[in-house]
Amino acid sequence: MSVAWQFYISTVLIYLGVDVIACWGLNLQFGVAGLVNFAFIVFQAAGAYTAAVLTLGPATPVRLGGFQQYVGGAHWPFPLPVLAAGLVGGVLAALVGSFAIRRLRSDYEAMVMLVVSLIATSVATNQVGLVNGPNGLAVIPKPLATMVDLSPIDYQWLFVGVTAVICVCVYWLVHIVTSSPLGRTLRAVRDNEAAAAALGKNVTGLRMLAFVLGGVIAGISGAVLVEFISAWSPGSWLYPETFIYFTAVIVGGRGNNLGVMVGALLVPVAFLEATKFLPQFGPAGLTAALQWIVVGTLALLFLWFWPRGVIPERRRRFPAAASTPARRSLIRARSGP
Amino acid sequence: MSEPAGVLLTAADLYKHFGGVHAVSGASFTIPAGQISGMIGPNGAGKSTVLNIMAGVLRPDAGTVSYRGHDITGHPPYKVARQGVIRTFQLSAEFSALTVLENLLVAAPEQRGEQLWQAALGKWYWRPQERKNVELARELLARFEMAATEDEYAGNLSGGQKRLLELMRALMARPALLLLDEPMAGISPALARRIEQHLLDLRGEGLTMLMIEHELAVVERLCDPVIVMAQGRVISQGTMADVRADQEVLDAYLIG
Repeated sequence: MSVAWQFYISTVLIYLGVDVIACWGLNLQFGVAGLVNFAFIVFQAAGAYTAAVLTLGPATPVRLGGFQQYVGGAHWPFPLPVLAAGLVGGVLAALVGSFAIRRLRSDYEAMVMLVVSLIATSVATNQVGLVNGPNGLAVIPKPLATMVDLSPIDYQWLFVGVTAVICVCVYWLVHIVTSSPLGRTLRAVRDNEAAAAALGKNVTGLRMLAFVLGGVIAGISGAVLVEFISAWSPGSWLYPETFIYFTAVIVGGRGNNLGVMVGALLVPVAFLEATKFLPQFGPAGLTAALQWIVVGTLALLFLWFWPRGVIPERRRRFPAAASTPARRSLIRARSGP
Repeated sequence: MSEPAGVLLTAADLYKHFGGVHAVSGASFTIPAGQISGMIGPNGAGKSTVLNIMAGVLRPDAGTVSYRGHDITGHPPYKVARQGVIRTFQLSAEFSALTVLENLLVAAPEQRGEQLWQAALGKWYWRPQERKNVELARELLARFEMAATEDEYAGNLSGGQKRLLELMRALMARPALLLLDEPMAGISPALARRIEQHLLDLRGEGLTMLMIEHELAVVERLCDPVIVMAQGRVISQGTMADVRADQEVLDAYLIG
């Protein structure tokens, strides 16, 4: 395989890893817990910025020739910026959740999320000292690059490996949630909040938990992406990006970790990559604009005809019992005389 | 605060208004242990509002609810439920994308593996308890003749099956006091009789219930004390015979 192809394929694989991680996070919130988080990309961006400033080192003042201004710069060794990104994604989710999830019903919740997304973009763009405004951050050092002496293409493959390891860790996290009684309770909350509360489930706490975990995972996905592409700007995380992930989750199969992985492969990766190979037609920018229309149409088609997605949520069956146990009373002992 | 002997729950002077509508204005009653209390009254009498106050869904403007001698007024629904007060819904409230068996498993109290750290410990930590809960759920399914629907999505059940699921799920939550909001609404007479029999059996096992019901014949067959509500107040509480003799009750029904 030529070096050019190897570069291309390894790059696509890393993007796939990032998108799969992000889709798992969104699936936990939207697919499993029913939280319509239209601000998902904000948590990914928060993670990306966190990882970026913790890798870049302290900002150089403008008078000394510094070309980007940001807060909290540090030189942390590799895995730490990614972990910090997860932490920041989670803390931000707890913050946003404290007003968006605790008090509101899901339709209003979705509106609040959309507003959060718009506000976050405009703050990051206009508060230049925060994360360098509209130009965003650039020349972020590649992780491990100074420690390993590899050719550019070997480094690419190393990064694919690192991404795969992070994918496995994140999968473990989403799997223990979705395969346990906790996941079942979250799905119950999604299906009927009032009924879940009436059975003793702390609905607000459970929804917050799913929201924060999704925020942590979103932050990690952003960190992996920024460490790879070495740059990040507000233009790359506008709210429509969230809808790409929503489409991926819907197409792949809400509530199914494997399904949304396929969704991530089909929508942000295969579909958007394929358009790059189309011959140029019409005025410049037409293909890019059409992409959004086609992605929207895809989401609608699936919601109409295959609402459960390519790989639907698994129907949980339980093995038959070995013997029929004796009938027991289900009633709690009463107090008093 | 302490209850008189044999009383499980006491509602004292409850008030609740929604805008200008006084849904409940001064309702007081007691729920004796080990019996099925009936709650009757015309539409808009405040029965469902009172049930929602007891279940913690609504906070009363005034008045208190005490359960087993503890004031539970204004506790959130999940805390009320964890103390053993379990309510059902007038309209079926199944978890539609979960199977029938899963619907029951969700209701099991104090599950291992329902906290994140417990889930992280892995299957070996919560599986044994889960097996017991599956057994318990299957006993219930057998008892209610619903075993064949175990793996069916709850959303696909018929209206009558959903009512049975609602009841089974409430039992799975190990109630000490079951609040039933029209458990036989909109189902066939044959199934209604089956549910009646189940409720009688449960009473025989010592379960305390409060049932909102419009069908007076049913109330007469099942309920020992009857609470009559009209215009937000409890206008009578006693045996069905006492209540029938009450002129105010007759008026409420004729006018309401």
